[in-house]
Amino acid sequence: MIRSFDSCQIIEQAYALALYLYPVWFRSRYADAMKQSLSDALADPALPKNVFLRTLLKDLVESLIKENLVMFRETVSRPVLLYNALILMALFTALTLGFVIIEQSSLRQSANDPQLGMATDLATWLSRGTSPAAAVLNNQTLDHINDKTDMDASLSSFVIAYDEQGKVLASSAELDGTVPPLPSGVLAFVRQHGEERVTWAPRRDVRIASVIRHVAGPQGGFALAGRNLREIESRKDLVFKQAALVWLGLLGIISVGTFIFGWLSSSPKRVVAA
Amino acid sequence: MVASTPLTPAVFAILLSLAGGDRHGYAMMKDARTPEGGGIAMGPGTLYGTLERLMRDGLVIETEVSDDERRRYYRLTNAGRVSLEAELNRLDSAVSAARQRGLLPQGSRL
Repeated sequence: MIRSFDSCQIIEQAYALALYLYPVWFRSRYADAMKQSLSDALADPALPKNVFLRTLLKDLVESLIKENLVMFRETVSRPVLLYNALILMALFTALTLGFVIIEQSSLRQSANDPQLGMATDLATWLSRGTSPAAAVLNNQTLDHINDKTDMDASLSSFVIAYDEQGKVLASSAELDGTVPPLPSGVLAFVRQHGEERVTWAPRRDVRIASVIRHVAGPQGGFALAGRNLREIESRKDLVFKQAALVWLGLLGIISVGTFIFGWLSSSPKRVVAA
Repeated sequence: MVASTPLTPAVFAILLSLAGGDRHGYAMMKDARTPEGGGIAMGPGTLYGTLERLMRDGLVIETEVSDDERRRYYRLTNAGRVSLEAELNRLDSAVSAARQRGLLPQGSRL
């Protein structure tokens, strides 16, 4: 049994420190009364101290968990606060997703810009009877006039002329030493609709922003203008990462704001006899 | 608000203790340890956490009378008394039924 005055003092001091683990409002209301109850218990000669200390320890652990959970339930996890927080989170999630979709779509559309004009010009020249080699040459800049563009490594635009069956007639670019053919489904679509803007993957790791136009006239054929999408996809990734960071930041602000507001706006009332 | 039965052991012990008159914290803990007071070992954390909820439910109030600045006294309200009586009736019915089934000897204290 613990009988010495010093031992009781140590227990009381340790208990006073442990009281700091309770929620602030609970501690401010009951800390003194709890310390007094402990003093009374330790001063009671009829109470076996060892037994009481075990009870005290068990009670401390259980009530700490319980009161902190109660505090959490009555502050940040109040239904109306949670509902508002969830609505805000859903709203900002939708806005962020909308921004990402619009921005990425805009970037992808902008990747077609030079090719639209190039494909139209190539198709026009071919329909006027210009030879495919000359028409392709007309589309090349002076920098590339003697070299074929590497579809994989280069970010420059290029053009390819196909005949009506999809056979390559002339090209300003190549991939792995050859000019890749277009998928037959794309040719059929362009033959029917006149034009198609599509992401073309001539190799698994090469993605091309391509514009394909059908060549008018008796000989037909297809005019393709393309450009490697690597840079655009890198920008799309950057937009996604930045939007994800902003989104996480907003969720963090909402969570912290909800917690602080819940904490500050919670004030359980104590009933006192008149 | 009248608490719905059955009451938790801590609530029952506190209401039972306060039914004997105004009590401070340790007096309620002491009453609760006795067999007739519920027979539960309760520490200050459980006691004051339970008192907080009982006061919010209107079953207990804090008096303004105190013989020490740190020692608070609590009192049972009418609603608290009704809750306690309901719980005692429930327990009494259970004990009577147990006795009729021979689970308890006739004339035992329980």
